[in-house]
Amino acid sequence: MSSGPASRPVRFEAWRLSAIYLIVFLALSGLLLRLVNLQVLQSSAWAAQAVDNFTNQVSVPAPRGIIYDRNGYILARNLASYNIVITPAALPADDSDIQRVYRELSELIDVSVGGPVTDESLEAAKLFAACVPGPGIAQMVALQDTLAPFSSVKVKCNVSEEIARIVEEKSVDWPGVEVEVEPIRDYPTGSLTAHLIGFLGPIPALFEDEYRAKGFIPNRDKIGYAGVEDSLQDILAGRNGLRVVQVDVAGQEIRNLEPPIPAVPGHNVYLTIDTRLQAAAEATLLEEIRFWNTYFNTVRISSGVIIAMNPKTGEILAMTSYPSYENNRFTRIIPSYYYEQLSQDPRKPLLNNAISAEYPPGSVFKLSTATGAINEGVVGLDDIVQAPGQLLLCERFNPNDVCADSNTRPFVDHIFEKRPEGFGAINFLQCIAFSSNVCFYKLGGGYEDEINPGLGIERLRQYARALGYDETTGIQLKGEQDGLIPDPQWKRINTGENWSTGDTYIASVGQGYVLTTPLQVLMSGSVIANSGKMMQPTLVREVTDGDRNVVPMWFNPTDFTVTEFETEGSYQISPFVPNTRWDITVDPLIQSFSCDDVYCSLDAENLKIVQPESIQAVRAGTRLAVTASLFGTLNDLFGDFPIAVAGKTGTAEYCDDVARAAERCNFGAWPTHSWTLAYAPYDDPEIIVLAFAYNGGEGASVAGPMVERVIRAYFEIKAIDIATQGEPPPGP
Amino acid sequence: MTRGLSWRSFDFILLGAIVLASSFGTVMIRSAVAGNEVLQPLILRQVYFALLGVVLIFLVASVDYRYWLALYRPIYLAIMIFLVTLTGFGQSAFGAQRWFQVGVLFLQPTEFAKIIAIVVLARYFEYAQHQPRDLKWAFGAVLWASGIIVMILLQPNLSNVLVLSVILAVMLWMNGVQIKHVVSAVVIGAIVLASLVALSVLGVRIPFLQAYQQERIVNFVVPDPNDTYGNRYNVRQALIAVGAGGVFGEGYGHGTQTQLRFLKVRHTDFIFAASSEEFGMVGGVLIIMSLGIIVWRCIRAAQKARDVAGSMIAMGVATLIFFQGAVNIGMNLNVLPVSGLPLPFISYGGSGLTALMLGIGLVESIVMRHKQMEF
Repeated sequence: MSSGPASRPVRFEAWRLSAIYLIVFLALSGLLLRLVNLQVLQSSAWAAQAVDNFTNQVSVPAPRGIIYDRNGYILARNLASYNIVITPAALPADDSDIQRVYRELSELIDVSVGGPVTDESLEAAKLFAACVPGPGIAQMVALQDTLAPFSSVKVKCNVSEEIARIVEEKSVDWPGVEVEVEPIRDYPTGSLTAHLIGFLGPIPALFEDEYRAKGFIPNRDKIGYAGVEDSLQDILAGRNGLRVVQVDVAGQEIRNLEPPIPAVPGHNVYLTIDTRLQAAAEATLLEEIRFWNTYFNTVRISSGVIIAMNPKTGEILAMTSYPSYENNRFTRIIPSYYYEQLSQDPRKPLLNNAISAEYPPGSVFKLSTATGAINEGVVGLDDIVQAPGQLLLCERFNPNDVCADSNTRPFVDHIFEKRPEGFGAINFLQCIAFSSNVCFYKLGGGYEDEINPGLGIERLRQYARALGYDETTGIQLKGEQDGLIPDPQWKRINTGENWSTGDTYIASVGQGYVLTTPLQVLMSGSVIANSGKMMQPTLVREVTDGDRNVVPMWFNPTDFTVTEFETEGSYQISPFVPNTRWDITVDPLIQSFSCDDVYCSLDAENLKIVQPESIQAVRAGTRLAVTASLFGTLNDLFGDFPIAVAGKTGTAEYCDDVARAAERCNFGAWPTHSWTLAYAPYDDPEIIVLAFAYNGGEGASVAGPMVERVIRAYFEIKAIDIATQGEPPPGP
Repeated sequence: MTRGLSWRSFDFILLGAIVLASSFGTVMIRSAVAGNEVLQPLILRQVYFALLGVVLIFLVASVDYRYWLALYRPIYLAIMIFLVTLTGFGQSAFGAQRWFQVGVLFLQPTEFAKIIAIVVLARYFEYAQHQPRDLKWAFGAVLWASGIIVMILLQPNLSNVLVLSVILAVMLWMNGVQIKHVVSAVVIGAIVLASLVALSVLGVRIPFLQAYQQERIVNFVVPDPNDTYGNRYNVRQALIAVGAGGVFGEGYGHGTQTQLRFLKVRHTDFIFAASSEEFGMVGGVLIIMSLGIIVWRCIRAAQKARDVAGSMIAMGVATLIFFQGAVNIGMNLNVLPVSGLPLPFISYGGSGLTALMLGIGLVESIVMRHKQMEF
């Protein structure tokens, strides 16, 4: 052994070694403490994050319900639209293979390959939303590869079925390239039913949380924006399914963590609309408007409405509003240029004039005055009313106001220019049939000792409300207006003036402050036609589930909810039952009116009904308008009609912003809206039609012919249905 | 008598700990690369390297370490040539030149350079053991180390520069460097480190540091709480993996973080997190304890060595293993910034494993030839 005591093993200074041991010990203890802290004390929190990492909730979209008309003709459906998608992770491994796939695909779908993937080209590609042409295939795939390589990216949207089929066939040669079938909404009747059906759009950011809570996925699922697509959103949408899956870091699904909840398809809805009658109504409206606008060589009639309904059941058979829009243009996206065009159009094509526009009703409102006057005994059935060509009436704001020349002005009848002497001595039925303004001024406002007192605004308002004015009807469409039936208090609050006698006169003929929607006018007519019964107007006939079973459904018009059970204020929409809102001959709705000297007031406690005889008298008046050959307002149109028709015309003076801007609001020569309302057969009405033409002129000559044509179409369609033994051919 | 050779003194505890650690490593690598076809060959490759390593231990142990000390000049020259060539022609991976392709194998000369640096420094301290412990003595050691350090710094590979610096510091310390020199070095080092951190946080580019290295420092010092998918992603996933493992782990092959690949570079840098997820605290504690045992046995060898050079080699290997292991585990537990240092004997890496086995072989050689009273 060469080593002696001189070369003993080197002994370090002990403290230096101890320091080393101490450092090692401290470091390892520190790591151990940290490990225990993480794995024992904080373990559950970290474990939750691990679960969060690998858990993914996949929403399975529910197919939206289909909308049919009453005969099963499809008004809204889901069509397959084909998108070409690429899943980056499924592309071939070899780069040259990928390039080959890109090249071949590019040739087929006409999207550029995109050249080399550079940072600049990627930044440029990021600016494009999905489906918007621009970036090359390579760029789109490269972006998706960094985001979620196991999810697909849409390379080209809405390709033809032929291209989709070619891509399907090539699936072996083109791994990673697939055809994605995306359901999009299709409206076979397009603009014909756009106001009724509406359209779909994205979930607005404001309501994202609300819809997310219901299982919707913003930016994927769409919701109704108008029409029944909007109002019946609850039942049409269905319920999205849910799968809770385990995913790896790339997003690839490994397995289901929980039993999947399948999607529940939306309910199908059958509307009360008869598409054939709807088409007839639209054609009539367009033709009439085209005719008059051509005749006057200007856009005279800018909008119009036709509504047809079964007065006994409240089923809306047709409802058109001009101008309309093409809802098929909104199926994929809402194109901004088209939406701009629609929203800037002064005629407001997106507005359903039948329910959302308020106009002065003019003479069609006389039905309310007539019902009140006869029921309150203002006039007897056999009383004779003197109807000269014009009345000189004075405007009094207080009972004590003195009549003088300064506050007296003529109130003319519509026949005044043709026959200055007027209708002469006429009875109550003739007042209605001839639509004598003078007669109704007297009935509404009273006239000297002949009619004293008149009905008065308070009582007129009671009867107008009984006929459905001054409130919404509760139909399954959003945006319904309630119109306005004024009373003295309203005037004082809103204009700062007392109610005057002149206000009562013009309100009696549906002018002045009175505003109504076309649907309200139709409903008032249906109450008369239906001998006092106010039906619930409805668009829905039936709701079925995916297996075609009819599902009972109730609709609540206050909050637009649809439930499978009855709720406060709701009415049944499926299976169809006629819902009577009220019967004025049975339900006491009219507040009684009493006068103590000059102070008159309504008594809300003391309610009364409308006598059936009163309604029958008004009905007879509407029939006389057709049968009276001399002055009957509808005699020219329906005198020779094979079925007994009854109705009322209206020519409503108006002075709105448009007319004022055109300087057409000249005293005594205001522009007029054209109204006509008619029902048939008179004895047992099954159809009531209302036509309205904005700035149309005389009711009988513009709106009247439209009503006539639609009623004729109704009976022709009925004859065809009977001939084909109740199996109507689908669609127009 | 063959120069005190005695297989009876062979440290079987050390060998056992290493065989256990590397076996566990291959088992864990198998779980970590499951599901990734490209990485499948790594399992077998690691097994080959481990077997080769054990053979190397016995081969190196049977040779007197003093032969290597005698050959320090050609060895030093050879590794410098390797490192210079590497800086010129090596394959650049992730922004650093660290690989050297020999046939089908990628070799990392840096791993071997660390062992060689230990041998060269040990030779210096042996040679200078009777010199006064002044600055000249200290700078002599720094000079010997700096050749290799500069070449590694040029790659750039900051973590290994740090490893070598620590080895150098420990050797100086053990050989009796003066406390006043230690204090000044610590003060200077602290100032340099503080300014590095401060400049990085302020976003000033520092020469010799790569942008990603500065980013790592910033991410560690001031983590961005909203940055869940950016640079902190890997560390965060490692923490989730460790925490989710709990006391007994999720089971081998059943760690969701590892198997569903939320945990990145799980067969190398983050293998500790993968092990802690699948084997829980039990696994983590065993890894730390085996690291402790290996380090303890190496320091024990340093105490027993018959000369300064042997002591220093054993101490250097102990420092190498301890520092790399602690830094790696610290990174996995987010108590230290991210670095590329692997977990000794467990992380995948042929060169690293082989180099460490060489080091252990040297330690065994030292412990087998220690001066003892044996009759």
